[in-house]
Amino acid sequence: MKHIMIIDDSPTIRTSVEYALMGLGYPIANAENGSDALKKIAAIKGKGDDVALCIVDVNMPVMDGITFIGEFRKDDKFTPVLVLTTESEEQKIRAGKEAGASGWIVKPFSNQDMVKVVQRLVK
Amino acid sequence: MIRSESNRFGKTLYILYPGDYFATSANCLLATVTGSCVVVCIHDAARNIGGMGHFILPGAMGTEGIIADDIAKQGIASMEHLMGEMVKQGSSRKSLRAILYGAGVFGSGASAGATSGGNIRFLHEYFSLEKIHVSREDLGGTVRRKIFFCPRTGVSYRKFLKNNNDHSEFMKLENEYISYMFVNKEKCGRIILFD
Repeated sequence: MKHIMIIDDSPTIRTSVEYALMGLGYPIANAENGSDALKKIAAIKGKGDDVALCIVDVNMPVMDGITFIGEFRKDDKFTPVLVLTTESEEQKIRAGKEAGASGWIVKPFSNQDMVKVVQRLVK
Repeated sequence: MIRSESNRFGKTLYILYPGDYFATSANCLLATVTGSCVVVCIHDAARNIGGMGHFILPGAMGTEGIIADDIAKQGIASMEHLMGEMVKQGSSRKSLRAILYGAGVFGSGASAGATSGGNIRFLHEYFSLEKIHVSREDLGGTVRRKIFFCPRTGVSYRKFLKNNNDHSEFMKLENEYISYMFVNKEKCGRIILFD
């Protein structure tokens, strides 16, 4: 079974993204920061399941989103990682791309756009 | 936002305009004036970091709650800007408390009251979902408010502006900001795919 992992320190954002994606049928896993996500992804893979997509914020305590992508890419070159953030500076976007992000959405997002982007990335 | 060094407080004063957000651990003062907009002051007592955001939800929220509401998404994004600045300063959402001001009712007609009510409901739902304690709130009514906030101590001070001509230039800026937000209320952020 493939999960979608939502990584954001805001419960409001995690719930909003889960609400937007509930029609796609993927089980949703949540994490509060990059470090928390790496542990939960390892636990998912340890059970024989996998991750179809990670959706990650940039500014989080403990481990930020760009650091998470770099760490995640050490073991997984192919699973798409979508950044969802208020950050829109070109320098940050370039850093995300260089770390291995697959896409970048600047908040606020529409549910329809989120579904289209996720469907394209997990295809 | 403007920064003032020469003022009667003896410390740096940052004056936030409508739509601004700012967080710092410096021993300074943040100030703003609001009519219809909401002003959120956030304080992290564990790390002596504080921030202020000045924004408005462009319209009345529906009844489905903030997770399902498109208007509320604009407010969530505004709060995310402020929270992001707090995190950049080293703060964590788990040790925050909030002070809420504004959302006054100005102008006649049902829409002014509905916008004010929607903004107040948004704040209550947002901070409930985030599990952030609201230590003080002064919302609604037909008064304009001048607010000072010390980000290091979390102490805030509110003054009602009895004369509507006080800070009239500031209120003009707020009206321009509100008009912009209502025109662009369905605007979403950029989407970039790298592959």
